[in-house]
Amino acid sequence: MHRGDVFRMRHSFVLSSLVCLLIIILLIQAACCKESDDDDDDEATFKDFNLNVGDRIDLGDYQMELIEIQSVRDGLVVMRISKVGGSLDEQRALLLDSANNFDGGAEKKGVTITVADIFDEQSAKVRVEYLPGIGTARKRTSARPAAVPDKPELSVQKIFDKSQMNVGDEAKVTIIVKNTGTGQAQSINAQDIPPLPEFTYLVGYPPKIKETLDPGESDSAAYIVNAVKEGSIQVPSIVVTYTDGKKNSKSNSSEPFNVIIGPKSRADLVISVADTSPIALDEEGLLNISIFNQGTASATRIEVTGEVSPPDGLRATDLDKSFFEILPGDGANYSAKLSGQKAGGYTIHLKASYDGGDGYVIREGTAQVAVLEREYKYQYLLLIIPVAIIVGWIYRRYREYKY
Amino acid sequence: MLNVLMLGVGQCGNRILDSINKEAFGGNGASKLAKYYLRPKFPSRVETLAINTAVNDLKELRFTTAKDRLHVPNLHGVGANRNVGKRAFMDNRDMIMGEIEKRGNFDVAFVITSTSGGTGSSFSPLLINELKRQYRNITIITVAVLPFREEGSIYLQNAAFCMKELMEVEAEGILLVDNQYIKRFSGDIATAYDKINGMIAQRLLFLIESLDSEMLSVTDLGDFKTVMNGGLRIGTMGFYQADSKNLSIRDAIENSFKPANLLYPANVADDAARAMVIIQGSREHLDVDEITKEIERISASAGHVFKGIVVKKGRPKVLSVFTMASAPELESIYAQAARGMQDEKEKRSRARKQLDDAFAHIEDLEEIY
Repeated sequence: MHRGDVFRMRHSFVLSSLVCLLIIILLIQAACCKESDDDDDDEATFKDFNLNVGDRIDLGDYQMELIEIQSVRDGLVVMRISKVGGSLDEQRALLLDSANNFDGGAEKKGVTITVADIFDEQSAKVRVEYLPGIGTARKRTSARPAAVPDKPELSVQKIFDKSQMNVGDEAKVTIIVKNTGTGQAQSINAQDIPPLPEFTYLVGYPPKIKETLDPGESDSAAYIVNAVKEGSIQVPSIVVTYTDGKKNSKSNSSEPFNVIIGPKSRADLVISVADTSPIALDEEGLLNISIFNQGTASATRIEVTGEVSPPDGLRATDLDKSFFEILPGDGANYSAKLSGQKAGGYTIHLKASYDGGDGYVIREGTAQVAVLEREYKYQYLLLIIPVAIIVGWIYRRYREYKY
Repeated sequence: MLNVLMLGVGQCGNRILDSINKEAFGGNGASKLAKYYLRPKFPSRVETLAINTAVNDLKELRFTTAKDRLHVPNLHGVGANRNVGKRAFMDNRDMIMGEIEKRGNFDVAFVITSTSGGTGSSFSPLLINELKRQYRNITIITVAVLPFREEGSIYLQNAAFCMKELMEVEAEGILLVDNQYIKRFSGDIATAYDKINGMIAQRLLFLIESLDSEMLSVTDLGDFKTVMNGGLRIGTMGFYQADSKNLSIRDAIENSFKPANLLYPANVADDAARAMVIIQGSREHLDVDEITKEIERISASAGHVFKGIVVKKGRPKVLSVFTMASAPELESIYAQAARGMQDEKEKRSRARKQLDDAFAHIEDLEEIY
């Protein structure tokens, strides 16, 4: 025997063994399946369905319809179970996670229904347990439109008209409540508390919102506060509570936010006088006066008065002036006429009194004005000319005698 | 008002003229800088002109204006040689006379010169002739300065010939100033010159002022000419100012004739031919009786004496001018000059003879190379 023939014989033997082993395994598996089918006929099976209101499950002669979600909070779902032939027609409120047997339940060739979950007012998850011999459970979707749910949803907004303000500033706070749901919101109660110590509440607090809001309807309330204390404040959210048509209580709140209160706004006037060039005696000059409000509030009822010291020798007219208002960052300019009557140095004191938003304030400024002696432009000639004459004379005499 | 021309010729004349200008600024009391702030004050219209051939002498002047300094170009002076001086004058006569003519007409001219120098002694006689020819009615008085006797024979020779020529010209007279006589007043030569010049200037200006003043007793230019025409037409001047201890006008007049106060050694009693006495002072000092008595006393020996009295506040001042009938000192100078010339001539002969004897040694020889 050839060595190749031996090798082929061994190979054929191994393949035959593997085929046989495979056939044996398949036979064993088939036997096991038959045994399981036999068990199904004896034991209940179950199937979960997500049902909307009106949807139905058909199982053999049984029909199971979701009538309504009676209470999401209490976990009550109303279902109607009926059987062809009229032997069973029952509408029952099923408690969440409680098995409910009909016709003896699944153990006795009836059905057992359990509400596994309630999604919302319109849908729930239902488990049906039954013996396989009854039939196969199938979902039948309802052809009628779904009933509009009675589900109010209130959105709440709390708005400050300015996010930065100063002590003493007034701010308008607006509360807006809108029903974005599908049902009427009832017993609406807006609670904007606690009152913040950084504000005094002037008008409209506490805000009043209508007690009922139909879907799509909104209501608002506003109140005025006055900032009294500086700092960065987190304004708390407003909480609105309400109930739906089934007296289910609900609530919603606005988003908290920050408001910065700066120091109190004040007007701060600065009096400045442009550089005054000296005035020649018996001549006139101008004194340009500027009043600038470098504060954060308007200065009102500004009265500027001026005095010249010493009082004699410099006459100033139009030094006093009144202004009704100078806005923050704004200024006012005016000029006073000066007339020098006596040489010397003079000080002009300017005093501005105004209402700076926190009572009357006085600001002062000074200007130095010099009245010069009459200038004799060619005064130096009084010295030079005689000297020149003398020098010229001496030179002439020198030349006269120089030989 | 008199129109007076004062010509200073030569170095000596220039310096006396400068002193006259200085005196016009206030004399010795005047500051050296007075010319820069004052104008000279002459009693009359006085024009001065300094004439010289030596420019350096003109430059030395301090109180004479440049326009009053006339340089006659002849290198550097005439070297005390009167012949050279005469030629220089003649060569520049028109220029000199033109400068004088520019100054107008004059009633009297004073030609002030040294008799011993080169320019002055040679120019003056010629200048006086030209003045007389140009100004017909002018009175010319020569103020001639005699040299120090020890200055040398040339100066004495010049003085002798100059005086001779001055006597021959048509000038009204000569007022002599003798350096030899006056130098006794001062120690060093520079001070002596300044003092002599100052004395001459003071007297001349006093004379001009007096001739041009309103006098209590009148003397004028005519009287002065008459005085100067007396005797040899050679005269001199005396001056005296009374001090506070003795304000007697009689003593002042007497003192003005004393040799110590004269410019030339003369004896009024012996030598004077005619005289003029000009008295100036406060009225309280001018006692007419005393003046008359003293004038009469002088007249007894000096012949005719003109007197002029000027009332002017101050101590009595007396100027005496007189001409001499004899001048013994001049004769002495001439004798001395003649001796000097003779000695010079002999020296020159001896030197010539010595030189000729020297040359005799080589008379028959020729140069050999």
